[in-house]
Amino acid sequence: MFKKLYLVFGMVVILTYSAASWFGWEAANAGSRSRLGVPFIYTGYRGGK
Amino acid sequence: MTLLKANCPSCAGPIEFTAGATVVVVCPFCRSAVARTDRGYEDLGKVSEVADSRSPLRLGLKGNFKGNRFELTGRAQLRHDMGGFWDEWYATFSNGWVGWLAEAQGKFYLTFYQPMPDGATVPAFDRLELGSVVSEIPNETPLIVIEKGTATPVAADGEIPYRLSPNEQSKYADLSGANNAFGTIDYSTDPPWVFVGQQVTLAEIGLKSAEPATRESRRTTAGVMSCPNCAGPLTLAVPDRTERVTCPNCDSLLEVNRGNLKYLRTLAPPADEPNFAITIGSEGTFKDGTRFKVIGAMVRSVTIEGTKYFWHEYLLYEPSIGFRWLVHSDDHWNFVEPINAADVLASENILGAKSARYNGRKFRIFQDASAIVEYVKGEFYWRVEQGETVRAVDYIAAPLMLSQETSPSEINWSVGVYQSHAVIENAFGLKSLPRPSSVAPNQPFGGSFYYTWGLLPIMALFGFGILLLPFTGLKRTVYTDTITIPPTATDAAPQVVFSKPFELGARRNVRITASAPVSNSAADLDVDLVNDQNDEVESVVIPVSYYEGVEGGETWTEGDRTTDRTLSSLPGGQYTLRAEATVEGTQAPLPITITVDQSVNRGVNFFIALLVLAIVPIINVFRKFTFESRRWSESMFGSSGDSGDDE
Repeated sequence: MFKKLYLVFGMVVILTYSAASWFGWEAANAGSRSRLGVPFIYTGYRGGK
Repeated sequence: MTLLKANCPSCAGPIEFTAGATVVVVCPFCRSAVARTDRGYEDLGKVSEVADSRSPLRLGLKGNFKGNRFELTGRAQLRHDMGGFWDEWYATFSNGWVGWLAEAQGKFYLTFYQPMPDGATVPAFDRLELGSVVSEIPNETPLIVIEKGTATPVAADGEIPYRLSPNEQSKYADLSGANNAFGTIDYSTDPPWVFVGQQVTLAEIGLKSAEPATRESRRTTAGVMSCPNCAGPLTLAVPDRTERVTCPNCDSLLEVNRGNLKYLRTLAPPADEPNFAITIGSEGTFKDGTRFKVIGAMVRSVTIEGTKYFWHEYLLYEPSIGFRWLVHSDDHWNFVEPINAADVLASENILGAKSARYNGRKFRIFQDASAIVEYVKGEFYWRVEQGETVRAVDYIAAPLMLSQETSPSEINWSVGVYQSHAVIENAFGLKSLPRPSSVAPNQPFGGSFYYTWGLLPIMALFGFGILLLPFTGLKRTVYTDTITIPPTATDAAPQVVFSKPFELGARRNVRITASAPVSNSAADLDVDLVNDQNDEVESVVIPVSYYEGVEGGETWTEGDRTTDRTLSSLPGGQYTLRAEATVEGTQAPLPITITVDQSVNRGVNFFIALLVLAIVPIINVFRKFTFESRRWSESMFGSSGDSGDDE
């Protein structure tokens, strides 16, 4: 049972990795959260910086 | 066809020598063993009638061995000095051969007289060592001494091809070789006679038809008797093979001698009354459908460094298979069956060898100690005794255990297979057998799957990584430019610079690299990627700093003049890069080269996936290590390492 679960888990990890590679997702990235909908007017606010 | 007719010198009854090789005929009228000599006929003494051993064979039966027809013309019953009887049948072949067909514990051994080469002679009986090879005997495979003993002919019938003297003891040695080779050295003559042949099945000697009916009938055969000590009822499950039985009513040890019971002694139970997990008389069905009956149980022990360790052994019986053992030790279970001693190979003398090979597997020695019978219950096919001691050597290759038991007269090998609780509980319909807290010598490690077949996901990950490389891992530069940050009056005042618009592809990660000739100075870049279509912004901070100096006579540096940051993919389209720089440590204009790349193969995703997939195998490798440490901590030959187990 655990062996099957482990293999299923392994497949999920591989599929996730493949999807990340395909869609260009970086698991560790330096970007901020995209400020969707905010027009480009720099306000000087940098999240408390 | 009668070769010679004569009259019995004892009773004058007519006797016939029908085979040229016949030396002795048992008179059917007075049971005298009559030998023909060059001076006439000699009465060698009376022999008993053969006891019913429930053999499937009988005199007059015709068979065929390797194309040569034979007939069973004689039979003798011999008594072993350790107790028990076996049958020897004499096969007269149509081509003049005489074969010895021995029958013991349901097995058959067909041997023929083997002349020794000129000048060669077998070692004397006393010089013959158990486990040693008798190299003087010419044979395809080496023959190993597995038993030494004394035989006494007690009964006979028909025609015997040698001078059988009733009740005259003679020494013999049994030999065993690979591929079922078998041999016997008969020390009743000088020089000793050597017989070589092989273990055979009844089918192999054309006597298959003799087997089924008789064998089947044994399933229902059980002898009901009375204990000679307490007169309580006593049932023998295997009356034709049982040598010893204990009375369930008075705990007496009884000898079974050709159907008669004889009181020997009342057994002294151990201080702790043994609590056998399986009841004698119960039946268990194993995976292959074989149904064994538990006919006996015993408590055995070994003493190691002053501590006595006990375990239980159950004697199982199935008529067409014979005897097997179920060993219960420290709440672990093993199913044990005997094997041919010659099939075990050792790198040195088989007695005390540090390793052995069997069936292509290497076994490592685990224990070498004297095993003592502490208590018995039920019936046994040998003359079991309280206090009976053998040298027991165990070799392991989980889930198998190879065991060698050596007494002064014989050497026996067996192989045990580790059984889970579920198997034993299912076989005997038991519930809640105690679970072990220790690791058994041959217990298989349950987690090896995770670092063997369980590595398949990791292999697949490498495969996917290579396959995806052409699509996602070929770097492409989409923008590069050098912007100059003008000097400022104060360090803290930020300067803002905008790039020219450039195109970013969808589904590709983005790496922004900033490179500046800073020296003992720093520039913090706040970079915004602005989507020109919808003004969505993705921000990243890229610090560029480089400091150097000399301290204590040694130069040091800190930071890097080139720094990069990577972002996940952004929606494809036209973007503008906005860089806001805060420069410290310099008042001069600072040129900063900014490069934007896509499809950068950083390997971070791959290594995270690899790490996640490797956690379970790594944990199980660690578990395996501790499992083996616990296993070998119980060994007299403790050493770490793999036991070569399989699940």
